[in-house]
Amino acid sequence: MSGIHHILYKKDSITLVNAESGTKHLLTELLLEGEITDALPFRSGLAFLYINNSLDDVIAYLSLLNTGLTLALLKNDLEASLKTDLESKYRPNLIFDPKRNKIPNTKQLAITNHEIGLSFFIYDRGSTGKIDPRIKVLLSTSGTTGSPKFVKLSGENLWANADSIASYLPIERSDTVPLNLPLNYSYGLSVLHSNLLKGCTLVTNVPDIISPEFWTGFNKYGYSTLAGVPFVYELLDRIGFRNKDLPSLRYFTQAGGNLSEPLKRAFYTYSKEKDKEFYIMYGQTEASARISYVPYDQLPAKINSIGTPVKNGKLYIDSENHELLYEGPNIFGGYATSMEDLKSYKNIPVLRTGDIARQDEEGFFYIVGRLKRFVKLFGNRINLDELERFLKEECPGASLACDNIEDKFILVSIVGDPMAFQNVKQSLFEKFKIHPSSVKLQFVKEMPLTKNGKTDYQALSVMYADDSQP
Amino acid sequence: MSIDQNTKKELIAVFERALSIDKSRVTPHLGYKEIPEWDSISHMILINEIETTFEISIPSDQMVEMNSFSNILLFLDKNLLKKPS
Repeated sequence: MSGIHHILYKKDSITLVNAESGTKHLLTELLLEGEITDALPFRSGLAFLYINNSLDDVIAYLSLLNTGLTLALLKNDLEASLKTDLESKYRPNLIFDPKRNKIPNTKQLAITNHEIGLSFFIYDRGSTGKIDPRIKVLLSTSGTTGSPKFVKLSGENLWANADSIASYLPIERSDTVPLNLPLNYSYGLSVLHSNLLKGCTLVTNVPDIISPEFWTGFNKYGYSTLAGVPFVYELLDRIGFRNKDLPSLRYFTQAGGNLSEPLKRAFYTYSKEKDKEFYIMYGQTEASARISYVPYDQLPAKINSIGTPVKNGKLYIDSENHELLYEGPNIFGGYATSMEDLKSYKNIPVLRTGDIARQDEEGFFYIVGRLKRFVKLFGNRINLDELERFLKEECPGASLACDNIEDKFILVSIVGDPMAFQNVKQSLFEKFKIHPSSVKLQFVKEMPLTKNGKTDYQALSVMYADDSQP
Repeated sequence: MSIDQNTKKELIAVFERALSIDKSRVTPHLGYKEIPEWDSISHMILINEIETTFEISIPSDQMVEMNSFSNILLFLDKNLLKKPS
């Protein structure tokens, strides 16, 4: 069996709980598969789904999964102008967006059964270009920016990923799983898929982790697991998670960047004392998410490792530049930056992760650096060159550079008068949802250059470090 | 019971810094997640900023109560008064 629609093969037993309303439904009563196929004026094409983690979002996604459509999963609170930019670039045939009442040149199609009603926007423009039928899902490389760059994933990619995760995590059919991460994020989508595969109960409309309602819901519904990026663990630490009595919790997972060692140790100790398990994992959207994980019993000895590869995957290190390379059935089929790119799905034998790694004697891998210029903030990857381009367009003629400081914040170095650049933080927030406190501005007399005449990022971060010394 | 005006003024300044918003937008009714600038990320920054500014430690079980400007002000009012001035 392969192909992502097979994650639904246990659908008869799957229950969905809406944490907001407290209602429970069988997945089979909610799925609109037949209704959608009957109502759609086309069999294939591109669908844009603006989603997060609501019941409607999950049902819209799963109902469309079995059609011939290619589904682009996007953040539902993307700024309106970014949505229309993406739509004019890719010309989707169908849009699911609960945040909008109207989209020009579309007609609304309401699809309902006894339990649920969803509304889709349909373009009446016929075929808008051929799409390789292997492309099932498109995910954005960064969760937040509305960048038109997508990762092309096939049904087989998504299946292989879900299957490998389900084989190393202690998922049980009796589990109740909160979908606390957005589904347009590869980690969130992985949680959905791997637990569907095992026939678990899924909880939608999960409130924010720092709201009291989340914790009432935790014990009311009896969550078995929790997934989080490093920031979520920092937050859990701050709200006294380890002092809470959570008898239903069996295991929790962390991915989406590096969590600090003291916190990893603290959560490991907690898991040991409370008879729970803690999984540290590594991956990329380009691998449909998961690449490696640290087996729980090895965690204390390998706390800073990204572990060993998932089932059917292989990891090794490039002997020339020490880049971490991955092979496996979950490697994506290339990027798409335009409709044209949807015509093909490439078989990529080796995924170059862009991370520099080493391997210890027992075969565990460790990330020691990064080849590409990006920053990972709050689990989201942000391309620094893209930021730089954007800011140069916003401030024509300005000489500026963006750099990553330890995945803690973005350093923007600018030549010029601070008064002229007051809006930099605000515009980064509006366009990329990068929180102003994650951006530091440094004003320099001139831009330091390397021997080759390129921006000397190292010199800039040294300047910053010198200035911020107490 | 009247709330100390200096505490209120100081708290408005803390909101301004932590959320990077203009003080005109800091109203008593301002609630967590009601504006895009006050999300879970800036919330943590806000809490840290409150703790340093007022030299106070917010117990973890009180964290979830810190969900609006007025609730935070109330918390400060109660807890700052206990300190000898």
